[in-house]
Amino acid sequence: MAELSADLGFCTLKNPVIPASGTFGYGEEFLPFFDLDLLGALILKGIFRKPRSGNPPPRLAETPAGVLNSIGLAGPGSEKLQEIIRRLHAKTRTPIIVNVCGEDDREFEEVAEIFSAMAEVAMLELNISCPNIKKGGACPAQDAGHTSRLVRRVKKVVRKPLIVKLSPNTADIVGVARAAEGAGADAISLVNTFLGLAVDLEKRKPVFANTLAGLSGPAIKPLALKLVWEVCRQVRIPVIGMGGITSGRDVLDYILVGAAAVQIGTVNFCEPGAAVRIIGEIEAEMDKLQIKNLSEIRGKLQA
Amino acid sequence: MSLHLTKGLFTAPAKHGIMRGMQDERGLIVEARSLDGDCRLLKIAVPQIAAQAKPGNFVMVRVSPSLDPILRRPFGILQSEPPHIWLYFQVRGRGTQLLGSLRAADSLDILGPLGNAFPELAGKKILLIAGGRGIVPLFHYAKAYAAQRQLLLLYGGRSAAELHLLEEIKAMPFEKTVIFSEDGSIGKKGLLTAGLEKLIAEQRPQATLSCGPEAMLARLVRMLKPGKTENYASLEALMGCGFGVCHSCVVLAADGSYRKVCDEGPVFPLEGIQWPN
Repeated sequence: MAELSADLGFCTLKNPVIPASGTFGYGEEFLPFFDLDLLGALILKGIFRKPRSGNPPPRLAETPAGVLNSIGLAGPGSEKLQEIIRRLHAKTRTPIIVNVCGEDDREFEEVAEIFSAMAEVAMLELNISCPNIKKGGACPAQDAGHTSRLVRRVKKVVRKPLIVKLSPNTADIVGVARAAEGAGADAISLVNTFLGLAVDLEKRKPVFANTLAGLSGPAIKPLALKLVWEVCRQVRIPVIGMGGITSGRDVLDYILVGAAAVQIGTVNFCEPGAAVRIIGEIEAEMDKLQIKNLSEIRGKLQA
Repeated sequence: MSLHLTKGLFTAPAKHGIMRGMQDERGLIVEARSLDGDCRLLKIAVPQIAAQAKPGNFVMVRVSPSLDPILRRPFGILQSEPPHIWLYFQVRGRGTQLLGSLRAADSLDILGPLGNAFPELAGKKILLIAGGRGIVPLFHYAKAYAAQRQLLLLYGGRSAAELHLLEEIKAMPFEKTVIFSEDGSIGKKGLLTAGLEKLIAEQRPQATLSCGPEAMLARLVRMLKPGKTENYASLEALMGCGFGVCHSCVVLAADGSYRKVCDEGPVFPLEGIQWPN
């Protein structure tokens, strides 16, 4: 039997599968489908200090094997989320990761501090890469200098492992990853969605009010895998890979290019039981390929 | 095209979905009928979902086992007689094309029952207002309650070719049924809203349940006198997940907030939504 544990350095997860922020609600929604204890960890939908209503509809457009979204981080705000986390923690022992958002650096710091203080929270993921907040998709993770300043500032106030979530929408993702590492990030997760555009030919207008939106799903897997591979070779901290994963083999692809664990996103929408299926498939696939544990293949791509 | 069962992918093991009634269930198509106007009627065996479906609920249907298209499609439940549910839709886009090409003995994954239900409105006289495929949840309501409620039906569509289920409707104990078609090929000519005021004046319903195109619902909210009838509408929306996770299917509520059609709806008080002018 293959050993599925995933070593993040600062902790070990029982398996590498983590539902991605924004695709797993607040965890509770998936209780009808499986025991959350089966997951490596879980990441809650991104949270700001105050409640947010999100972007005007439409918020979704389907693409070939993918989805463009412009949700805009709708959410209940930090206070309400704390209640939700307490309730969720009573129902699962799986590590709970809070996805921390902010309109500006100060808000990122405030929100991180709030959730760092919660015993029920295992780690924080700093969401410096959402493309649906500012016009044109701008986010801190597009700039190494901003990433460095922001991560340093947040690190000063948090007492929990800090994962920094990177954007593919930058010319130099390796530079941004190194900046996060240099500023004290404990891990890096990538990629957030790719900026895309959908147009309404009849109206001659963009489909989305914010013009650009974020592309996810199987359509982005080769692009995301490449970026994860590039970053893994250039940083020493663990990397959590994501982008278009729908199967156990997809997970092993990410481990092979160097990821320590993975996040699964869009597939949670179309198949609520996907995470558990994928965990089962990883084990079966490892047995078939005679891989005893993940470290045996992690970063072993011969290129 | 037939759906082959891809091993594992899109199949939730049977142990999944034991709470709150929601299930990701493998359905088997028992009967697939093509109707005029490029419409389809599917009878699907989904015992767990059928056993729990209430009028107003919907399902998310995986129209293809491949990763493209990746999202499921929402469909209202036309009728539920365990172990079967019926879906009725018009082939419009890629999702309905794929679903509409399925045949008896094909199988597909169905998530449900989802969403809230119509209020039961026990003891009230209720007018059902259905525009086109908007008949779906109202038909379900009528099937469930026609024997115990005084029900009226106002049903309209583009033409006779697009108005189906008339035999089944005739067999139900409606107090009155009024049919409209835009081209006059069946029933009265015009939009169904042309018959609304007369029907209400004559029959004096205490509540209305409606479903149909946005323009029809927007017109209804302007025509129905507040306080005279209790009004509910079942809404349609583009959905990502169908169970409250993705926040894609929001509508703007009268109070200025966004409401998720999937798990806060699809049934809302008609006046609770901001309709376009």
